[in-house]
Amino acid sequence: MEKSSGHNEPVMAARVRVLCLGNELLADDAFGHVVADRLVSELSRNAGEESPAATAPADIEVIKSSLAGLGLLDELTGVSRLIVVDSVQTGNAPPGTLHILLEDELRTPAGPSPHYFGIFESLGLVRRLGLPAPEEVIILAVETADCTTLGGNMHPAVLAAIPKVVQRVAEVAASLPRKAAS
Amino acid sequence: MSNIEKTAETSSEPNAAVTTQHPRRITIDPITRLEGHGKIEVFLDEQGNVSKAYFQVPELRGFEKFAEGRPAEDMPQITSRICGVCPTAHHMAATKALDALYQVTPPPAARKIRELFYSTFMTEDHALHFYFLGGPDFIVGPQAPAAERNVLGVIAKVGIEVGKKVIEMRRKLRELMALVGGKAAHPVLGLPGGVAKRVTADDQKQFQQVAAQAVDFAQFTLATFESVVLKNSDYVQLICSEMFTHRTYYLGLMDEGNRVNFYDGSLRVVSPEGKEYAKFRPEQYLDYVAEHVEPWSYIKFAFLKPLGWKGFVDGPESSIYCVAPLARLNAAEAMATPLAQDAYQKFFATLGGKPVHHTLANHWARVIELLYAAERMKELADDPEIIDPNVRTLPTAKPKEGIGVVEAPRGTLIHHYQTDERGIITKANLIVATQNNAARIAMSVEKAARGLITRGNVSEGVLNMVEMAFRAYDPCHGCATHSLPGSMPLLLRVHEPSGNVVATLRRDFDGKIQRT
Repeated sequence: MEKSSGHNEPVMAARVRVLCLGNELLADDAFGHVVADRLVSELSRNAGEESPAATAPADIEVIKSSLAGLGLLDELTGVSRLIVVDSVQTGNAPPGTLHILLEDELRTPAGPSPHYFGIFESLGLVRRLGLPAPEEVIILAVETADCTTLGGNMHPAVLAAIPKVVQRVAEVAASLPRKAAS
Repeated sequence: MSNIEKTAETSSEPNAAVTTQHPRRITIDPITRLEGHGKIEVFLDEQGNVSKAYFQVPELRGFEKFAEGRPAEDMPQITSRICGVCPTAHHMAATKALDALYQVTPPPAARKIRELFYSTFMTEDHALHFYFLGGPDFIVGPQAPAAERNVLGVIAKVGIEVGKKVIEMRRKLRELMALVGGKAAHPVLGLPGGVAKRVTADDQKQFQQVAAQAVDFAQFTLATFESVVLKNSDYVQLICSEMFTHRTYYLGLMDEGNRVNFYDGSLRVVSPEGKEYAKFRPEQYLDYVAEHVEPWSYIKFAFLKPLGWKGFVDGPESSIYCVAPLARLNAAEAMATPLAQDAYQKFFATLGGKPVHHTLANHWARVIELLYAAERMKELADDPEIIDPNVRTLPTAKPKEGIGVVEAPRGTLIHHYQTDERGIITKANLIVATQNNAARIAMSVEKAARGLITRGNVSEGVLNMVEMAFRAYDPCHGCATHSLPGSMPLLLRVHEPSGNVVATLRRDFDGKIQRT
């Protein structure tokens, strides 16, 4: 897991966390991590252009992780708004299709294997135990073609979806209230 | 609300298109199978009973090709990234393969630090597995409504305080893993011939403190298991039921006293009758393990090579073995720590002696191993040698071939590399727990289908019961496990003898079961 802050604010709890899930070794599953890299460079550039004097952009933290389910518990807590970027295989849409969902729009069954204990089960657990859960969770997931070939290439349509997702996240960041400079 | 609303781009609503895309498909073709789904194809005989059932899942592909041309010394880091569930097991198996490749023996302190780190990992993984992953089947109960058989159902049953206790234990164990491993998620501890970081006296104190708490926690967990599961005769009956029983061989890594060891030792195989069939060094694995290929699955089915492939059969004619907690307890003659040994004896006394062939007993076996892992962690933390600063033997020999084996939480994990003299990989092989278990899992799925589908009647409950048959193995099917939404859709198709599809059950991302 790698953390990058989008600007040079003093260390404080981020209000928005972009959790980019994926695996750079597994073809289209690299999607989340590639988005994370783009986002970090984009956010740093924007931060550089703005005057830091009057207002500061909302705190945004970009995190890459290739963990699953319960491994993500720490990444799901301690933030008010969570944006999850990941891959998905619904089988009902062509590769590259962007699915945008709020947490409660996706109900998941108990998985056929504990390996499939997903992020929603983890979020449910966090809330039930009274841990500091996000107020809002938004999921940006791209439909993929292949997530199981080690060292495989990304599908062109999945690659093409990257700027779309980066833009969406940037829009969310821009929509957040600016906090007064201290 | 944010700027992001559910948009026209969303196509989250599943529909039945998947099953109608290939309306005339009557043969099983793994190439065109639907990615991301677990599929069960059931073939009926003339009477409408099950003649054959096949289980297919997405499978990780291409490791061998991917590894070729890479420096072997990168493998502990790279292989720890191929699985989002047990990176530590891959890290350690790869590190041990590098010891063998460079023909170097780590100093005693390094060996102990590795095992201490690994025991910490096993304690964490087994604890989380028992409560949150296996819990829906056993703590909540197999007969509970599907809507309650999840982690929230577990919390409702054991209480929020216990849930918090598990999370707190996890945090402490992961902090220790980060203390020596650099990172809990993807450790950077193992090097050929030793470890990257020594354990200081201060570190040792922390390990001692948490290890003592872990032993208490494991005892508490065992007591919870006994009160929730063992005192419920329905559960015990289910564990022992014929539907979830297979008489196969069992494999596990053992110390010199034939006691379970997660980190090192010899591989021991016991027969369906419980007698020692073989005991061999990890580097001899190719003399004992071979893989069978079936046209309907990407998974290679491991079997005992000297016996030859005899098909998906159990009993005296079988050449199938399995791994994971139950297999380890069966393959062992004892546990190496006192509290785990007591629990081990009670396990076999309660379930009718060795070996125990009931797949669902894996959950109980896991709790016994949790206790062992915590006790072993404490033994190693208390060992004065653990703070010896000599933690590395520098490799000097030319690399050629190395095999490393550990017991992952889900069973025996084998890494095998061949390199040129610069240490660049020319050939690699990986046998993960799920491959070792694949043949038995296939039998479990077929047995459940046979028991639940008669005269062409397919009830919706069949999906849950078939799932229970393989949940106990915790199979790893492809490692893109974080792909949303975490739960794998499941598709069951029933074919007439002619091949025509007569019924389709599909449980989707939204949890609904659709019948077509």
